[in-house]
Amino acid sequence: MQAIIEALKDSSPAVQALGVSVGGIIGVFTTLAAFFLLIWGGTRIGRR
Amino acid sequence: MSDVFIGFSSVGWREAVMYLVGFALIWLAIKKEYEPMLLLPIGFGAILVNLPLSVVWEHEGAAGFLKVLYDGGIANELFPVLIFIAVGAMIDFGPLFKNPFMIFFGAAAQLGIFATMIIATLPPFNFSLKEAASIGIIGAADGPTAIYVANKFARDLLGPISVAAYSYMALVPMIQPPVIRLLTTQRERRIHMTYHDADVPRWLKVSFPVVVTVIAGFVAPISVPLVGSLMFGNLIRESGVLERLSKTAQNELAYLVTLLLGITIGSSMSAEKFLNIRTLSILAMGLVAFVVDTAGGVLFAKLVNVFLPEDRKINPMIGGCGISAFPMSARVVQKMAAAEERGNIILMHAIGANVSGQLGSIIAGGMILALVPLLAG
Repeated sequence: MQAIIEALKDSSPAVQALGVSVGGIIGVFTTLAAFFLLIWGGTRIGRR
Repeated sequence: MSDVFIGFSSVGWREAVMYLVGFALIWLAIKKEYEPMLLLPIGFGAILVNLPLSVVWEHEGAAGFLKVLYDGGIANELFPVLIFIAVGAMIDFGPLFKNPFMIFFGAAAQLGIFATMIIATLPPFNFSLKEAASIGIIGAADGPTAIYVANKFARDLLGPISVAAYSYMALVPMIQPPVIRLLTTQRERRIHMTYHDADVPRWLKVSFPVVVTVIAGFVAPISVPLVGSLMFGNLIRESGVLERLSKTAQNELAYLVTLLLGITIGSSMSAEKFLNIRTLSILAMGLVAFVVDTAGGVLFAKLVNVFLPEDRKINPMIGGCGISAFPMSARVVQKMAAAEERGNIILMHAIGANVSGQLGSIIAGGMILALVPLLAG
C-alpha cells in the first residue's frame, strides 16, 4: 500500500485523481456494505 | 471632494456583474422557488460584499459582520456541522431498514464525485488535486459536505462550489429525468416493486447512529465531524426521550444556521474571486457531477437486475435516488414512475435509496478528505 502511495505522489494530478477515485469508490462501497450488514443482521435478530 | 464620491468611483464592471448575479439568485429563489432558504441569502450576501469599500467584509483594518460570521462559522466548519445535526434529526432511516439493499445505491450514485474530480485535473481545466476534489464533491449533492471539503482544500473556490452545489440540488427535477429516460427503457421504468412494511426494532433505530459513527470513525477518522454530527441529530430523533430537542434541531437550529450559512457563503463571492473562467468551468463540472451520479445509480440498478429473478427486479429509476438530494430525488422518481404507469408506487424504495445517498455522500466526502492529503500533502 505504501509503495502505491509513494508512486502516486510522483504522478500527475490526473493519475492521482484516478488513484483517489479507485480508493474512494472501494471505501464508500465497503463502508456502506458494513452498514448493510448491520441493518440486515439487526432486523434478522429483531424478528426472532 | 473625491472622498464624497468614493462609493461611485470604487466599483467597476465586475462589481456590477456581481450585483446581477446576486439579483439573479434572489429572483430564482423568489420567482422559481429554487432552494429559497439558501439562494436568497446567498444572492443578498453577494450584493453586500461587492458594494463600495466592502464594509461588510473589512474596513480600515476592522472585520465587518460577514467576515466575523465567515471566521466563526465557515472557516472553522461550525455551520456545516450544525446543519448536519439538523439534517440528522430530520432523517427517518425506516424505509432503508425495511429494504437495506437500497444502501448500495447510495454508494453507486457517488460516481459523479470521482469522475468529475478526474475531469477537473485534465486539460484544459488543469486544477490541482485538492481543487479538483473540491469541485468533484459538488456531486455529493449535499451542500454542507461540499462546503466542508472545499473549505479544507480550496477556500478560494468556496463561493462557486457552494452556489453550484445548492443550485443543482434545486434543479434536480430538471437534471435527473432526462438522464434516467436516456438510460432506461419504458419497460424498465414500469417495473413494480413490492414493499414489505415490517416493524423495525427500536433498539436497531437507536443503536444505528451510534454504530455507524463508530464504524466511520475507524474507516475514515477524518469524516467523524460530518458523520458524527449527522448521526448525533438522528440519535436525538430516535431516542424518543428528546422530542423537544429533536424538534428544535429540525426547525430553529436548521433555519437559523441556514440563514447565516447562506449570507456568509454569499460574502465569499467577491468579484475578484468569482468572476473568472474557472468559476464557469466549476459550474459546468458541477452539472457533469450530478449527471454522472444519476447515471451511476441507474446503471448499477440495471447491473443488479441482471442477477435477479424476473419477479424481484428493481425499477432502475430507484438508482438515481442514490444521490443525496433528499427528498427531492425520491419525489422526482416517484412522479416519473406514476407518469409511466398510473398506480406504480415505488416511493418508499426511492426514499430508502435517497437516505442512503445522505450516508454515501458524507462517506465519500470522508474518503476524499482522507485520501487526497496522502498524495497532495
